[in-house]
Amino acid sequence: MIYNFIIYAFLGCVLSGISLALFSPFVTLRKISYMGEALSHIAFAGIALALFFGLNIHITTLLFVVIISLLIGIVSKRFKLDEANAITIFLSVSMSIGIILISLKNNYTFDLASYLFGNVLLIGKADIVQLVILSAVNLFFILFVYKELFYLTYNAEIAGVYRIRVKLVNYLFLILLAVNIVINLKIAGIILVSAQLILPAVIAFNIAKRFTWAIVIGVLVSMISAGIGFLLSWYFNLPTGASIVVFEFCIFVLTLTFKRKHN
Amino acid sequence: MIIFNNVNYNIDGKSILMNIDFTIKDGEFVAIVGPNGAGKSTLIKLLLGLIDDFEGSIEIDGFDHIKWLRQHPIGYLPQKEIFDRHFPATALDIALMGLASKLSFGKRFSRSDIDKAKKSLEVCGAQHLHKSLIGSLSGGEFQRVLLARALLTDSPYIVLDEPEASIDRPGVLGFFEILRTIHATGKTIITISHDLHTLSSYCTFLVCLNKTLHCHSQMDLVDAEVIQKTFGESFHIIEKDY
Repeated sequence: MIYNFIIYAFLGCVLSGISLALFSPFVTLRKISYMGEALSHIAFAGIALALFFGLNIHITTLLFVVIISLLIGIVSKRFKLDEANAITIFLSVSMSIGIILISLKNNYTFDLASYLFGNVLLIGKADIVQLVILSAVNLFFILFVYKELFYLTYNAEIAGVYRIRVKLVNYLFLILLAVNIVINLKIAGIILVSAQLILPAVIAFNIAKRFTWAIVIGVLVSMISAGIGFLLSWYFNLPTGASIVVFEFCIFVLTLTFKRKHN
Repeated sequence: MIIFNNVNYNIDGKSILMNIDFTIKDGEFVAIVGPNGAGKSTLIKLLLGLIDDFEGSIEIDGFDHIKWLRQHPIGYLPQKEIFDRHFPATALDIALMGLASKLSFGKRFSRSDIDKAKKSLEVCGAQHLHKSLIGSLSGGEFQRVLLARALLTDSPYIVLDEPEASIDRPGVLGFFEILRTIHATGKTIITISHDLHTLSSYCTFLVCLNKTLHCHSQMDLVDAEVIQKTFGESFHIIEKDY
Protein backbone atom coordinates (compact mmCIF):
# COMPACT_ATOMS: atom_id res chain seq x y z
CA MET A 1 0.00 0.00 0.00
CA ILE A 2 1.37 3.42 -0.93
CA TYR A 3 0.65 6.07 1.66
CA ASN A 4 -0.56 9.53 0.68
CA PHE A 5 2.51 11.20 2.16
CA ILE A 6 4.74 9.23 -0.22
CA ILE A 7 2.69 10.30 -3.24
CA TYR A 8 2.78 13.91 -2.00
CA ALA A 9 6.54 13.67 -1.46
CA PHE A 10 7.04 12.28 -4.99
CA LEU A 11 4.82 14.93 -6.58
CA GLY A 12 6.44 17.65 -4.45
CA CYS A 13 9.94 16.74 -5.66
CA VAL A 14 8.88 16.67 -9.33
CA LEU A 15 6.90 19.93 -9.14
CA SER A 16 9.69 21.67 -7.23
CA GLY A 17 12.05 20.57 -10.00
CA ILE A 18 9.72 21.93 -12.70
CA SER A 19 9.29 25.33 -11.05
CA LEU A 20 13.03 25.87 -10.54
CA ALA A 21 14.09 24.38 -13.90
CA LEU A 22 11.93 26.93 -15.73
CA PHE A 23 14.17 29.68 -14.31
CA SER A 24 17.36 27.71 -14.72
CA PRO A 25 18.39 28.79 -18.29
CA PHE A 26 17.98 32.47 -17.43
CA VAL A 27 19.81 32.18 -14.11
CA THR A 28 22.65 30.17 -15.66
CA LEU A 29 23.21 32.35 -18.73
CA ARG A 30 23.02 35.56 -16.72
CA LYS A 31 25.68 34.02 -14.47
CA ILE A 32 23.61 34.76 -11.38
CA SER A 33 23.43 31.17 -10.16
CA TYR A 34 24.96 32.42 -6.89
CA MET A 35 21.67 34.30 -6.40
CA GLY A 36 19.92 30.99 -5.67
CA GLU A 37 22.33 30.17 -2.90
CA ALA A 38 22.42 33.74 -1.59
CA LEU A 39 18.63 34.10 -1.48
CA SER A 40 18.27 30.70 0.23
CA HIS A 41 20.69 31.79 2.96
CA ILE A 42 18.95 35.13 3.33
CA ALA A 43 15.65 33.24 3.58
CA PHE A 44 17.12 31.39 6.57
CA ALA A 45 17.13 34.66 8.54
CA GLY A 46 13.53 35.23 7.45
CA ILE A 47 12.53 31.79 8.79
CA ALA A 48 14.34 32.50 12.08
CA LEU A 49 12.63 35.89 12.33
CA ALA A 50 9.19 34.31 11.81
CA LEU A 51 9.92 31.58 14.40
CA PHE A 52 11.24 34.12 16.92
CA PHE A 53 8.25 36.45 16.71
CA GLY A 54 5.68 33.71 16.00
CA LEU A 55 4.78 35.09 12.55
CA ASN A 56 3.65 33.32 9.37
CA ILE A 57 6.81 31.67 8.01
CA HIS A 58 6.06 32.00 4.29
CA ILE A 59 4.98 35.64 4.29
CA THR A 60 7.71 36.79 6.70
CA THR A 61 10.45 34.96 4.77
CA LEU A 62 9.23 36.21 1.44
CA LEU A 63 9.02 39.82 2.61
CA PHE A 64 12.43 39.54 4.24
CA VAL A 65 14.05 38.12 1.08
CA VAL A 66 12.46 40.77 -1.17
CA ILE A 67 13.46 43.63 1.18
CA ILE A 68 17.05 42.39 1.48
CA SER A 69 17.26 41.89 -2.33
CA LEU A 70 16.13 45.49 -2.87
CA LEU A 71 18.60 46.68 -0.20
CA ILE A 72 21.43 44.87 -1.99
CA GLY A 73 20.49 46.65 -5.22
CA ILE A 74 20.23 50.07 -3.55
CA VAL A 75 23.41 49.76 -1.43
CA SER A 76 25.55 48.51 -4.32
CA LYS A 77 24.31 51.26 -6.65
CA ARG A 78 24.36 54.13 -4.12
CA PHE A 79 27.72 53.35 -2.56
CA LYS A 80 29.29 51.97 -5.77
CA LEU A 81 29.89 48.65 -4.04
CA ASP A 82 30.43 45.56 -6.19
CA GLU A 83 27.11 43.66 -6.28
CA ALA A 84 28.75 40.28 -5.59
CA ASN A 85 30.43 41.76 -2.49
CA ALA A 86 27.16 43.37 -1.33
CA ILE A 87 25.38 40.01 -1.72
CA THR A 88 28.06 38.19 0.28
CA ILE A 89 27.89 40.79 3.06
CA PHE A 90 24.08 40.60 3.33
CA LEU A 91 24.19 36.81 3.04
CA SER A 92 26.57 36.37 5.99
CA VAL A 93 24.82 39.02 8.10
CA SER A 94 21.43 37.40 7.42
CA MET A 95 22.73 33.95 8.35
CA SER A 96 24.30 35.37 11.52
CA ILE A 97 21.10 37.17 12.53
CA GLY A 98 19.19 33.93 11.92
CA ILE A 99 21.56 31.90 14.10
CA ILE A 100 21.46 34.53 16.90
CA LEU A 101 17.64 34.57 16.85
CA ILE A 102 17.46 30.76 16.97
CA SER A 103 19.97 30.59 19.83
CA LEU A 104 17.93 33.18 21.76
CA LYS A 105 14.87 30.97 21.46
CA ASN A 106 16.30 28.44 23.92
CA ASN A 107 13.48 25.92 23.81
CA TYR A 108 13.47 25.63 20.02
CA THR A 109 15.68 23.06 18.34
CA PHE A 110 16.33 23.86 14.69
CA ASP A 111 17.07 20.96 12.37
CA LEU A 112 19.93 22.23 10.17
CA ALA A 113 19.96 19.09 8.01
CA SER A 114 16.32 19.62 7.14
CA TYR A 115 17.13 23.22 6.20
CA LEU A 116 20.01 22.11 3.98
CA PHE A 117 18.25 19.20 2.27
CA GLY A 118 14.58 19.94 2.95
CA ASN A 119 12.12 17.42 4.28
CA VAL A 120 9.99 15.85 1.60
CA LEU A 121 8.01 13.76 4.05
CA LEU A 122 6.46 16.94 5.47
CA ILE A 123 4.87 17.80 2.11
CA GLY A 124 1.08 18.07 2.32
CA LYS A 125 -1.77 18.61 -0.11
CA ALA A 126 -1.55 22.40 0.37
CA ASP A 127 2.12 22.35 -0.64
CA ILE A 128 1.29 20.45 -3.82
CA VAL A 129 -1.40 23.00 -4.74
CA GLN A 130 1.09 25.80 -4.02
CA LEU A 131 3.75 24.20 -6.24
CA VAL A 132 1.28 23.62 -9.10
CA ILE A 133 0.27 27.31 -8.96
CA LEU A 134 3.91 28.39 -8.73
CA SER A 135 4.93 26.30 -11.77
CA ALA A 136 1.95 27.65 -13.73
CA VAL A 137 2.84 31.26 -12.80
CA ASN A 138 6.48 30.68 -13.83
CA LEU A 139 5.43 29.17 -17.15
CA PHE A 140 2.98 31.99 -17.84
CA PHE A 141 5.61 34.60 -16.94
CA ILE A 142 8.21 33.06 -19.27
CA LEU A 143 5.75 32.66 -22.14
CA PHE A 144 4.37 36.17 -21.72
CA VAL A 145 7.64 38.09 -21.50
CA TYR A 146 9.87 35.65 -23.38
CA LYS A 147 11.13 38.31 -25.79
CA GLU A 148 12.07 40.69 -22.96
CA LEU A 149 13.62 37.92 -20.83
CA PHE A 150 15.64 36.64 -23.79
CA TYR A 151 17.22 40.04 -24.49
CA LEU A 152 17.65 40.82 -20.78
CA THR A 153 19.62 37.57 -20.50
CA TYR A 154 21.60 38.37 -23.66
CA ASN A 155 22.78 41.85 -22.60
CA ALA A 156 20.71 44.08 -20.33
CA GLU A 157 22.48 47.34 -21.25
CA ILE A 158 22.11 46.90 -25.00
CA ALA A 159 18.50 45.74 -24.57
CA GLY A 160 17.88 49.00 -22.67
CA VAL A 161 19.35 51.08 -25.52
CA TYR A 162 16.99 49.26 -27.91
CA ARG A 163 14.12 50.31 -25.62
CA ILE A 164 13.21 46.82 -24.46
CA ARG A 165 11.58 47.03 -21.02
CA VAL A 166 14.28 45.06 -19.27
CA LYS A 167 14.20 47.01 -15.99
CA LEU A 168 10.61 46.05 -15.21
CA VAL A 169 11.12 42.45 -16.38
CA ASN A 170 14.28 42.18 -14.30
CA TYR A 171 12.44 43.30 -11.14
CA LEU A 172 9.61 40.84 -11.84
CA PHE A 173 12.14 38.10 -12.57
CA LEU A 174 14.06 38.67 -9.32
CA ILE A 175 10.88 38.86 -7.21
CA LEU A 176 9.53 35.66 -8.77
CA LEU A 177 12.92 34.00 -8.27
CA ALA A 178 12.77 34.95 -4.58
CA VAL A 179 9.21 33.54 -4.30
CA ASN A 180 10.36 30.28 -5.92
CA ILE A 181 13.29 29.95 -3.55
CA VAL A 182 11.22 30.64 -0.42
CA ILE A 183 8.49 28.17 -1.38
CA ASN A 184 10.92 25.48 -2.50
CA LEU A 185 13.25 25.88 0.46
CA LYS A 186 10.99 24.02 2.90
CA ILE A 187 10.57 21.12 0.47
CA ALA A 188 13.92 20.95 -1.23
CA GLY A 189 16.41 22.70 1.07
CA ILE A 190 19.32 24.96 0.11
CA ILE A 191 21.40 22.33 -1.70
CA LEU A 192 18.61 21.02 -3.95
CA VAL A 193 17.28 24.53 -4.70
CA SER A 194 20.76 25.63 -5.81
CA ALA A 195 21.28 22.46 -7.84
CA GLN A 196 17.88 22.67 -9.57
CA LEU A 197 18.59 26.28 -10.53
CA ILE A 198 21.86 25.41 -12.27
CA LEU A 199 22.08 21.77 -13.38
CA PRO A 200 18.95 21.53 -15.62
CA ALA A 201 20.12 24.39 -17.85
CA VAL A 202 23.78 23.37 -17.90
CA ILE A 203 22.68 19.85 -18.93
CA ALA A 204 20.21 21.22 -21.50
CA PHE A 205 22.80 23.53 -23.10
CA ASN A 206 25.11 20.52 -23.50
CA ILE A 207 22.47 19.04 -25.80
CA ALA A 208 20.32 21.87 -27.22
CA LYS A 209 21.48 24.83 -29.29
CA ARG A 210 18.22 26.80 -29.17
CA PHE A 211 16.94 28.64 -26.12
CA THR A 212 13.38 27.29 -26.24
CA TRP A 213 14.61 23.72 -26.54
CA ALA A 214 16.95 24.30 -23.62
CA ILE A 215 13.98 25.30 -21.44
CA VAL A 216 12.00 22.19 -22.46
CA ILE A 217 14.96 19.81 -22.01
CA GLY A 218 15.88 21.45 -18.67
CA VAL A 219 12.37 20.88 -17.32
CA LEU A 220 12.38 17.25 -18.52
CA VAL A 221 15.81 16.60 -17.00
CA SER A 222 14.70 18.14 -13.73
CA MET A 223 11.48 16.06 -13.63
CA ILE A 224 13.29 12.82 -14.44
CA SER A 225 16.04 13.51 -11.88
CA ALA A 226 13.50 14.38 -9.20
CA GLY A 227 11.35 11.32 -9.96
CA ILE A 228 14.15 8.75 -10.23
CA GLY A 229 16.18 10.36 -7.42
CA PHE A 230 13.11 10.13 -5.17
CA LEU A 231 12.44 6.47 -6.05
CA LEU A 232 16.10 5.56 -5.46
CA SER A 233 16.08 7.31 -2.09
CA TRP A 234 12.89 5.50 -1.12
CA TYR A 235 14.14 2.11 -2.28
CA PHE A 236 17.60 2.37 -0.74
CA ASN A 237 16.50 4.47 2.24
CA LEU A 238 18.72 7.44 1.35
CA PRO A 239 18.22 11.20 1.87
CA THR A 240 15.89 12.37 -0.95
CA GLY A 241 17.36 15.79 -1.81
CA ALA A 242 20.90 14.45 -1.87
CA SER A 243 19.88 11.47 -4.06
CA ILE A 244 18.23 13.81 -6.61
CA VAL A 245 21.33 16.01 -6.79
CA VAL A 246 23.68 13.04 -7.27
CA PHE A 247 21.41 11.49 -9.94
CA GLU A 248 21.19 14.81 -11.80
CA PHE A 249 24.97 15.15 -11.61
CA CYS A 250 25.29 11.72 -13.30
CA ILE A 251 23.12 13.01 -16.19
CA PHE A 252 25.36 16.08 -16.35
CA VAL A 253 28.47 13.88 -16.72
CA LEU A 254 26.74 11.81 -19.44
CA THR A 255 25.79 14.92 -21.42
CA LEU A 256 29.36 16.22 -21.13
CA THR A 257 30.56 13.24 -23.15
CA PHE A 258 27.76 13.94 -25.68
CA LYS A 259 28.90 17.57 -25.92
CA ARG A 260 32.52 16.51 -26.42
CA LYS A 261 31.55 14.17 -29.26
CA HIS A 262 29.56 16.88 -31.03
CA ASN A 263 32.24 19.52 -30.65
CA MET B 1 19.70 67.40 -35.10
CA ILE B 2 21.84 66.66 -32.05
CA ILE B 3 23.15 69.51 -29.89
CA PHE B 4 25.71 69.16 -27.09
CA ASN B 5 25.35 72.23 -24.84
CA ASN B 6 28.45 72.86 -22.72
CA VAL B 7 28.68 69.25 -21.52
CA ASN B 8 31.10 68.46 -18.68
CA TYR B 9 31.63 65.07 -17.11
CA ASN B 10 33.85 64.15 -14.14
CA ILE B 11 34.49 60.89 -12.32
CA ASP B 12 35.71 61.28 -8.72
CA GLY B 13 36.89 64.82 -9.45
CA LYS B 14 38.79 63.76 -12.57
CA SER B 15 37.65 65.54 -15.71
CA ILE B 16 36.65 63.14 -18.51
CA LEU B 17 34.93 65.64 -20.83
CA MET B 18 35.20 69.45 -20.72
CA ASN B 19 33.08 72.16 -22.34
CA ILE B 20 31.70 69.99 -25.13
CA ASP B 21 29.66 72.30 -27.31
CA PHE B 22 28.77 71.32 -30.87
CA THR B 23 25.92 70.51 -33.22
CA ILE B 24 25.40 67.56 -35.53
CA LYS B 25 23.10 68.42 -38.42
CA ASP B 26 20.76 65.84 -39.93
CA GLY B 27 22.25 63.70 -42.65
CA GLU B 28 25.89 64.16 -41.65
CA PHE B 29 28.43 61.33 -41.58
CA VAL B 30 30.26 62.25 -38.39
CA ALA B 31 33.63 60.86 -37.33
CA ILE B 32 34.72 61.32 -33.74
CA VAL B 33 38.47 60.94 -33.48
CA GLY B 34 40.98 61.29 -30.69
CA PRO B 35 43.63 59.32 -28.78
CA ASN B 36 42.86 56.56 -26.29
CA GLY B 37 41.30 57.95 -23.11
CA ALA B 38 40.07 61.08 -24.95
CA GLY B 39 36.50 60.45 -23.79
CA LYS B 40 35.08 59.35 -27.17
CA SER B 41 33.14 56.33 -25.87
CA THR B 42 31.99 58.38 -22.87
CA LEU B 43 30.60 61.03 -25.23
CA ILE B 44 28.61 58.32 -27.04
CA LYS B 45 27.38 56.87 -23.73
CA LEU B 46 26.15 60.31 -22.67
CA LEU B 47 24.28 60.64 -25.96
CA LEU B 48 22.68 57.20 -25.51
CA GLY B 49 21.57 58.02 -21.96
CA LEU B 50 23.80 55.33 -20.46
CA ILE B 51 25.46 57.96 -18.24
CA ASP B 52 23.23 60.58 -16.66
CA ASP B 53 25.27 62.36 -13.97
CA PHE B 54 26.86 65.00 -16.21
CA GLU B 55 26.65 68.79 -16.39
CA GLY B 56 25.16 70.64 -19.36
CA SER B 57 22.53 69.28 -21.70
CA ILE B 58 22.11 67.21 -24.84
CA GLU B 59 19.24 67.82 -27.23
CA ILE B 60 17.95 65.47 -29.90
CA ASP B 61 15.49 66.94 -32.41
CA GLY B 62 14.68 69.78 -30.01
CA PHE B 63 14.00 67.57 -26.98
CA ASP B 64 16.09 66.74 -23.93
CA HIS B 65 17.89 63.57 -25.06
CA ILE B 66 16.51 61.38 -22.23
CA LYS B 67 12.97 62.46 -23.10
CA TRP B 68 13.61 61.75 -26.79
CA LEU B 69 15.22 58.36 -26.05
CA ARG B 70 12.15 57.30 -24.04
CA GLN B 71 10.16 57.43 -27.28
CA HIS B 72 12.81 56.37 -29.82
CA PRO B 73 15.60 53.83 -29.83
CA ILE B 74 18.92 54.75 -31.47
CA GLY B 75 20.69 52.22 -33.66
CA TYR B 76 23.84 51.54 -31.65
CA LEU B 77 26.88 49.34 -32.33
CA PRO B 78 29.08 49.19 -29.23
CA GLN B 79 32.84 48.73 -29.43
CA LYS B 80 32.51 45.25 -27.97
CA GLU B 81 29.10 43.76 -27.35
CA ILE B 82 29.43 41.65 -24.23
CA PHE B 83 27.68 38.29 -24.38
CA ASP B 84 28.34 34.69 -23.48
CA ARG B 85 29.95 33.00 -26.54
CA HIS B 86 27.68 30.00 -25.91
CA PHE B 87 24.51 32.10 -25.77
CA PRO B 88 21.99 30.17 -27.88
CA ALA B 89 20.94 33.07 -30.12
CA THR B 90 21.10 33.19 -33.92
CA ALA B 91 22.03 36.20 -36.04
CA LEU B 92 18.31 36.58 -36.78
CA ASP B 93 17.46 36.71 -33.04
CA ILE B 94 19.97 39.54 -32.55
CA ALA B 95 18.79 41.47 -35.62
CA LEU B 96 15.17 41.19 -34.40
CA MET B 97 16.19 43.08 -31.25
CA GLY B 98 16.04 46.22 -33.42
CA LEU B 99 12.30 45.71 -33.89
CA ALA B 100 11.52 44.88 -30.24
CA SER B 101 10.69 48.46 -29.24
CA LYS B 102 7.94 48.58 -31.88
CA LEU B 103 6.16 45.64 -30.28
CA SER B 104 4.05 46.07 -27.18
CA PHE B 105 5.13 44.48 -23.90
CA GLY B 106 4.94 40.69 -24.10
CA LYS B 107 4.04 40.59 -27.80
CA ARG B 108 5.94 38.14 -29.99
CA PHE B 109 7.64 38.75 -33.34
CA SER B 110 5.37 38.08 -36.32
CA ARG B 111 6.23 36.45 -39.64
CA SER B 112 6.47 39.91 -41.23
CA ASP B 113 8.92 41.03 -38.48
CA ILE B 114 11.10 38.03 -39.29
CA ASP B 115 10.96 38.88 -43.01
CA LYS B 116 11.93 42.49 -42.24
CA ALA B 117 14.89 41.30 -40.16
CA LYS B 118 16.04 38.98 -42.95
CA LYS B 119 15.78 41.87 -45.42
CA SER B 120 17.89 44.07 -43.13
CA LEU B 121 20.50 41.31 -42.84
CA GLU B 122 20.52 41.21 -46.64
CA VAL B 123 21.16 44.97 -46.87
CA CYS B 124 24.16 44.46 -44.59
CA GLY B 125 25.43 41.46 -46.56
CA ALA B 126 24.62 38.95 -43.81
CA GLN B 127 21.51 37.22 -45.16
CA HIS B 128 23.31 33.85 -45.36
CA LEU B 129 24.08 34.03 -41.63
CA HIS B 130 20.54 34.31 -40.28
CA LYS B 131 20.50 30.78 -38.87
CA SER B 132 24.07 30.89 -37.53
CA LEU B 133 24.68 30.97 -33.80
CA ILE B 134 26.28 34.27 -32.81
CA GLY B 135 29.18 32.51 -31.09
CA SER B 136 30.24 31.07 -34.45
CA LEU B 137 30.39 34.41 -36.31
CA SER B 138 33.63 36.26 -37.10
CA GLY B 139 34.10 39.83 -35.86
CA GLY B 140 33.19 41.27 -39.26
CA GLU B 141 30.10 39.06 -39.67
CA PHE B 142 28.89 39.98 -36.20
CA GLN B 143 29.30 43.72 -36.90
CA ARG B 144 27.10 43.31 -40.00
CA VAL B 145 24.44 41.60 -37.88
CA LEU B 146 24.63 44.46 -35.38
CA LEU B 147 24.31 46.97 -38.22
CA ALA B 148 21.21 45.10 -39.48
CA ARG B 149 19.79 45.38 -35.93
CA ALA B 150 20.52 49.12 -35.82
CA LEU B 151 18.80 49.65 -39.20
CA LEU B 152 15.65 47.86 -38.06
CA THR B 153 15.00 50.54 -35.43
CA ASP B 154 14.22 52.99 -38.26
CA SER B 155 16.09 55.55 -36.17
CA PRO B 156 17.40 58.56 -38.11
CA TYR B 157 20.66 58.11 -36.14
CA ILE B 158 23.14 55.23 -36.26
CA VAL B 159 25.89 55.40 -33.64
CA LEU B 160 29.01 53.23 -33.91
CA ASP B 161 31.89 52.88 -31.47
CA GLU B 162 35.03 51.87 -33.37
CA PRO B 163 33.31 49.40 -35.70
CA GLU B 164 36.61 48.60 -37.43
CA ALA B 165 38.20 47.34 -34.19
CA SER B 166 36.81 43.83 -34.60
CA ILE B 167 36.96 43.62 -38.40
CA ASP B 168 39.97 42.46 -40.38
CA ARG B 169 41.55 44.95 -42.80
CA PRO B 170 39.87 43.83 -46.03
CA GLY B 171 36.50 43.78 -44.28
CA VAL B 172 36.74 47.40 -43.08
CA LEU B 173 36.26 48.96 -46.50
CA GLY B 174 33.30 46.67 -47.25
CA PHE B 175 31.72 47.67 -43.95
CA PHE B 176 32.21 51.39 -44.60
CA GLU B 177 30.75 50.95 -48.09
CA ILE B 178 27.56 49.59 -46.48
CA LEU B 179 27.60 52.60 -44.14
CA ARG B 180 27.93 54.88 -47.18
CA THR B 181 24.82 53.27 -48.74
CA ILE B 182 22.90 53.72 -45.49
CA HIS B 183 24.10 57.33 -45.23
CA ALA B 184 22.84 57.95 -48.77
CA THR B 185 19.31 57.11 -47.58
CA GLY B 186 19.41 60.21 -45.38
CA LYS B 187 20.45 58.74 -42.05
CA THR B 188 22.88 60.52 -39.75
CA ILE B 189 25.88 58.31 -39.00
CA ILE B 190 28.04 59.03 -35.96
CA THR B 191 31.11 56.87 -35.61
CA ILE B 192 34.12 56.81 -33.36
CA SER B 193 37.23 55.69 -35.18
CA HIS B 194 40.99 55.50 -35.10
CA ASP B 195 41.16 54.92 -38.83
CA LEU B 196 41.32 58.52 -40.06
CA HIS B 197 42.64 57.52 -43.45
CA THR B 198 39.66 55.32 -44.33
CA LEU B 199 37.20 57.71 -42.73
CA SER B 200 38.38 60.68 -44.73
CA SER B 201 36.73 59.31 -47.86
CA TYR B 202 33.40 58.69 -46.12
CA CYS B 203 32.69 61.24 -43.43
CA THR B 204 31.39 64.76 -43.94
CA PHE B 205 31.95 66.17 -40.45
CA LEU B 206 34.88 65.66 -38.11
CA VAL B 207 34.94 65.98 -34.32
CA CYS B 208 38.46 65.98 -32.85
CA LEU B 209 38.24 65.19 -29.17
CA ASN B 210 40.79 64.95 -26.40
CA LYS B 211 38.75 65.54 -23.23
CA THR B 212 37.80 68.85 -24.81
CA LEU B 213 36.95 69.70 -28.42
CA HIS B 214 39.85 70.61 -30.68
CA CYS B 215 37.70 71.02 -33.71
CA HIS B 216 34.29 70.24 -35.06
CA SER B 217 33.73 71.18 -38.64
CA GLN B 218 33.23 69.95 -42.18
CA MET B 219 35.78 67.31 -43.06
CA ASP B 220 37.43 69.25 -45.88
CA LEU B 221 38.06 72.25 -43.62
CA VAL B 222 40.14 70.32 -41.10
CA ASP B 223 43.89 70.57 -41.49
CA ALA B 224 46.60 68.17 -40.36
CA GLU B 225 47.81 70.60 -37.69
CA VAL B 226 44.55 70.44 -35.74
CA ILE B 227 44.52 66.66 -35.90
CA GLN B 228 48.10 66.56 -34.68
CA LYS B 229 47.13 68.88 -31.80
CA THR B 230 44.29 66.50 -30.86
CA PHE B 231 46.43 63.40 -30.83
CA GLY B 232 49.60 64.97 -29.43
CA GLU B 233 53.13 65.36 -30.71
CA SER B 234 53.63 61.66 -31.40
CA PHE B 235 50.91 61.59 -34.09
CA HIS B 236 51.94 61.49 -37.71
CA ILE B 237 49.65 61.27 -40.71
CA ILE B 238 50.68 58.42 -42.96
CA GLU B 239 49.17 57.98 -46.39
CA LYS B 240 48.04 54.42 -46.90
CA ASP B 241 46.39 52.58 -49.76
CA TYR B 242 44.19 49.53 -49.32
